[in-house]
Amino acid sequence: MAEIDIRMTVNGSVQQLKAGAGRTLLSVLREEAGLTGTKDGCSSGDCGACVVILDGQPVNSCMVLAPQAEGSQITTVEGLAVDDELQPLQRAFAETWAFQCGFCTQGMLMSCHALLMSNLNPTREEILTAISGNLCRCTAYQGVVKAVEQAAAEMRSQDQNRHE
Amino acid sequence: MNGPEYIAPANLGDALRIKHERGAQARVIAGGTDLILRMRDKVLAPDLLIDLKNVSLDTISDSDNGIRLGACVTLSQILSEPVITGSYPALAGACREFAGPPIRNRGTLGGNLVNASPAADLVPPLLAYDANLVLASSSAVRELPLTGFFTGPGQTVMAPDEILTEVRLPSMPAPTASVFIKLGQRRSMAISIVNLAIRLTLDDASRVSAARIVLGAVAPTPIRAGASEALLTGQELSGELIALAAKKASRETSAITDVRASKEYREKMTRVLVRRALESIRDELQRSESSG
Ligand SMILES: Cc1cc2nc3c(=O)[nH]c(=O)nc-3n(C[C@H](O)[C@H](O)[C@H](O)COP(=O)(O)OP(=O)(O)OC[C@H]3O[C@@H](n4cnc5c(N)ncnc54)[C@H](O)[C@@H]3O)c2cc1C
Ligand code: FES
Ligand code: FES
Repeated sequence: MAEIDIRMTVNGSVQQLKAGAGRTLLSVLREEAGLTGTKDGCSSGDCGACVVILDGQPVNSCMVLAPQAEGSQITTVEGLAVDDELQPLQRAFAETWAFQCGFCTQGMLMSCHALLMSNLNPTREEILTAISGNLCRCTAYQGVVKAVEQAAAEMRSQDQNRHE
Repeated sequence: MNGPEYIAPANLGDALRIKHERGAQARVIAGGTDLILRMRDKVLAPDLLIDLKNVSLDTISDSDNGIRLGACVTLSQILSEPVITGSYPALAGACREFAGPPIRNRGTLGGNLVNASPAADLVPPLLAYDANLVLASSSAVRELPLTGFFTGPGQTVMAPDEILTEVRLPSMPAPTASVFIKLGQRRSMAISIVNLAIRLTLDDASRVSAARIVLGAVAPTPIRAGASEALLTGQELSGELIALAAKKASRETSAITDVRASKEYREKMTRVLVRRALESIRDELQRSESSG
């Protein structure tokens, strides 16, 4: 299989990778870049365990071929914490018990992070829409909604303090 | 395993030339949300992937008598376009009920059409708005109505060297109302058991001047319920007429039983959903009449 050079920026650092054109972004992130926080639940776009942020938008990394992501900016769950400090959304997930087994958690975090990037005051309906592509086998959905509401409130007040 | 080669041409001309040279074994990839699964399941094994990501087919623009959507606009783009949510609500509705945000951020209009699934959600609204398609090859460009584009499940009239470049929607004369309804096993992330789009335009005397009733997932390709449309045309909408049209529409289907639902369930639900859609359109038209 012809390998191609793929350059992308993952969590702020440039990665030079080689992969066959049929490889998914998911497999390249896990196996070539060593970022195993992103999970493989179904490999078919249905579960959302593999969601990463690609050029500002949440996508299923199992439904993107590695060469399609050439030249793009990617954020994975490993890129959420700043200087090893958990961000409000991550802390809220822990505090509200937004998970049980945790398999879906990284995908939930990325979908919710993407929502909060564009909307710091989401309605319950908007939160449910944002996670409609994420399955949680342990049905921690209510916790996820609570976590997003809590994180959004904290981020709004941080925002306000910054502006004062 | 030999994987495909991959190329991301810088412009449409290059993409068309490569498609012409490599023919059917070369596959265009837009979002990849259909193609990647088909390659994984070995239904398709293209020897070359032509990625359209650098070919500028991703804009929505106004034209004199309607709008033009590039084949590579994503479902998310369509949903955030005020012209579409305002004037083509059945198309916006289909995008809203399409998968979830991560798939909507990748999946494209062109991919949904060329993939030619009988259950493709964008097809009923596009047929209801009398969409035209623009197909380009290295030697010619042709515009053709979406009606007649599909020849069977996964089959279209496209030639192996053609690429879909644009979808054109004419402007809708007032008063027009339209809706999209999707029935799936759950609200998100479900493939349609039945989907439908209906558009009615009225004349000065509040009689139906144009009726489009398009049904998906109940035949080998999405279909127009012609007899039901004819029944409505020239008439004033009444409860009785709506019930009759819904019954007629369900008789125009040729549904099959599959993993998602039985033939009988599809037929029954077609009748129920056509009635609901027509009722909601009638209510909307009445509201706009009394307010305008
Ligand atoms: C989890 C999941 C949920 C889904 N939910 C829905 C749903 O709710 N409703 C629905 O209708 N579909 C659904 N789909 C199917 C799919 O997402 C859509 O059909 C989507 O619009 C395909 O677009 P794409 O750009 O990803 O296509 P691709 O996979 O890139 O292409 C599909 C086919 O079209 C060809 N093609 C693409 N663009 C062009 C072009 N411009 N010219 C010529 N050929 C072209 C490709 O060669 C390929 O054969 C779902 C898929 C997944 C994985
Ligand atoms: S692994 Fe990608 S959606 Fe399930
Ligand atoms: S916490 Fe187990 S799948 Fe969500």
